Amino acid sequence: MDPHFADVPENPGALASQDVSVDVKSEQLSLRDPRAVLSLLEADQVVAAKRRTHFGRKNLSTGTKALLWGLRIYVVAMLVIVFISAYQAVHAAR
Amino acid sequence: MNSPDKNPSQLAGHTAHPTTESAVASAAARELIGLVTHEDVDRARDRWEVARARVKGRSKTFGGFRLLWLLVGPGILVFLGENDAPSMLSYSADGSRYGVGFFIPFVVLTFIMGFIVQEMTVRLGAVTHRGHAELIFDRFGKFWGFFSMGDLIFGNFLTLVTEFIGVRAGLGFFGVRPAIAVGGALVIVVAAITTGRYWTWERITLSLAIFNGLFIPAAILARPDWHAVGHAMLTWMPFPGGNRYEILLLILATIGATVTPWMLFFQQSAVVDKGMQPRDINAGRFDTLLGALLASVFAIAAILATVPLFHHGINAADFQAAQFAEALEPLIGHTGAALFALGIFEAGIVAAIAISTSSAYAFGEVMQTGHSLNRPLREAWPFYLTLFGSACAAAALVLIPRFPLEFVVLTVNVIAVLAMPPALAFLLLLVNDPEVMGEHVNGFWANVAGVTVTILLIIAGLGFGLATVFPKWLGG
Repeated sequence: MDPHFADVPENPGALASQDVSVDVKSEQLSLRDPRAVLSLLEADQVVAAKRRTHFGRKNLSTGTKALLWGLRIYVVAMLVIVFISAYQAVHAAR
Repeated sequence: MNSPDKNPSQLAGHTAHPTTESAVASAAARELIGLVTHEDVDRARDRWEVARARVKGRSKTFGGFRLLWLLVGPGILVFLGENDAPSMLSYSADGSRYGVGFFIPFVVLTFIMGFIVQEMTVRLGAVTHRGHAELIFDRFGKFWGFFSMGDLIFGNFLTLVTEFIGVRAGLGFFGVRPAIAVGGALVIVVAAITTGRYWTWERITLSLAIFNGLFIPAAILARPDWHAVGHAMLTWMPFPGGNRYEILLLILATIGATVTPWMLFFQQSAVVDKGMQPRDINAGRFDTLLGALLASVFAIAAILATVPLFHHGINAADFQAAQFAEALEPLIGHTGAALFALGIFEAGIVAAIAISTSSAYAFGEVMQTGHSLNRPLREAWPFYLTLFGSACAAAALVLIPRFPLEFVVLTVNVIAVLAMPPALAFLLLLVNDPEVMGEHVNGFWANVAGVTVTILLIIAGLGFGLATVFPKWLGG
């Protein structure tokens, strides 16, 4: 984790003041003022905000867990079959 | 991780239109100077262009085109990136072994399947501003996250190897030595990422990707029977005959040429890196549809370009890229064969860029290090190292004498299909999660389509598995 993100406000987007707005009709853009940058981004789009906040863990139902395990077993079993058949095909070709 | 585990949608509720009082804000502004990153500034610049195009678009008749031009990219890149070397070889195998028939409409069907799932990644990325790997780790935890990452990294690495096989074989047609071909491809990959700017990277890669269209003149030089093409599109006939196991394998490889796990991870991360927001979702859908349309046309062109091999009874069962071009030369001329070989080279290059970027995005998201093409090298060196390192390792394998390259080519598309159902399960769970998606949660028909695609992939995979274990089942 980048150390300079250690002490960031929870919602940096909300720190920009309302009176800082970027004139989209202008031909020139100055992003020297961080508030101008933040006014163009959604609050949860700012890198520092993304580092501070995370979606929490979802509680998986028994059915969902069974589905994920079933698919995991399916992938492992099928991979074994693929490798055996590809190995045989390559050796048969030689 | 210094994380209070807050739901980011609570931040989104504050929106990008700040509400804090200006007295507080002026004090806070000083704090912000050290807070806004290079990545934020570059992304804000892109958003400014989009906002300007949106305002101007209202006042000009064709102003909307500027907005679309700014917002297209990830969708076209992901589909043209997936028209990669092994995919074009699969389409070429379809055309050379079975001619014009079932596989032409089938390819269109696979791209429809691709569009259905990729559209969901656009919404996920635009709404959450998080990559796919990050969301899986956040919502399902490390246990399932590492399984998912394992599938991705393993599949990506094998696919990357096949891209360099394509590069080597494509340029091999012109007499370029393997080391020079592969080394040159690595230089192009590095050149694309050294810009330190997502927008520039995207436009460079898009300009390379459009050369996937080289298969169109190659197909025209093969003088296709357009009446037969129209008949095949309408009737799905003639259905391929012969060894049913081989047909099933080719069907699986053709599906794997269009829907693969790396595409989900790549497009969502690219949408995030591009800075797309919920109001851009329709443009993202258009981008994805355009990508699917272009890629399906180029894929059909690859099939048509190799149909002369079928008509002349040339057995292309064990053909690799260069052999296709060499076999086509007496049938469609040197120009057609050269275009075909260049197309395979281009397919390998673009996919190598996209797939290595997909691995790097996922690595950065999971390791919580910088993971944006808007970041300079010094800020996100692990991201760039993953990108370049995976490309270098794959390129090196291709140059090892006696390395079983055909083993990799044989398995890569099939593995992609087999790894897809779990990836789709995570995608469907995420896109149906109201805490993540809010009002952009999947609708009924999107779920029907997504579940249907998942079931079709499982059936195709199981059919392949049963036919391998019990070959007599298919008369093999």
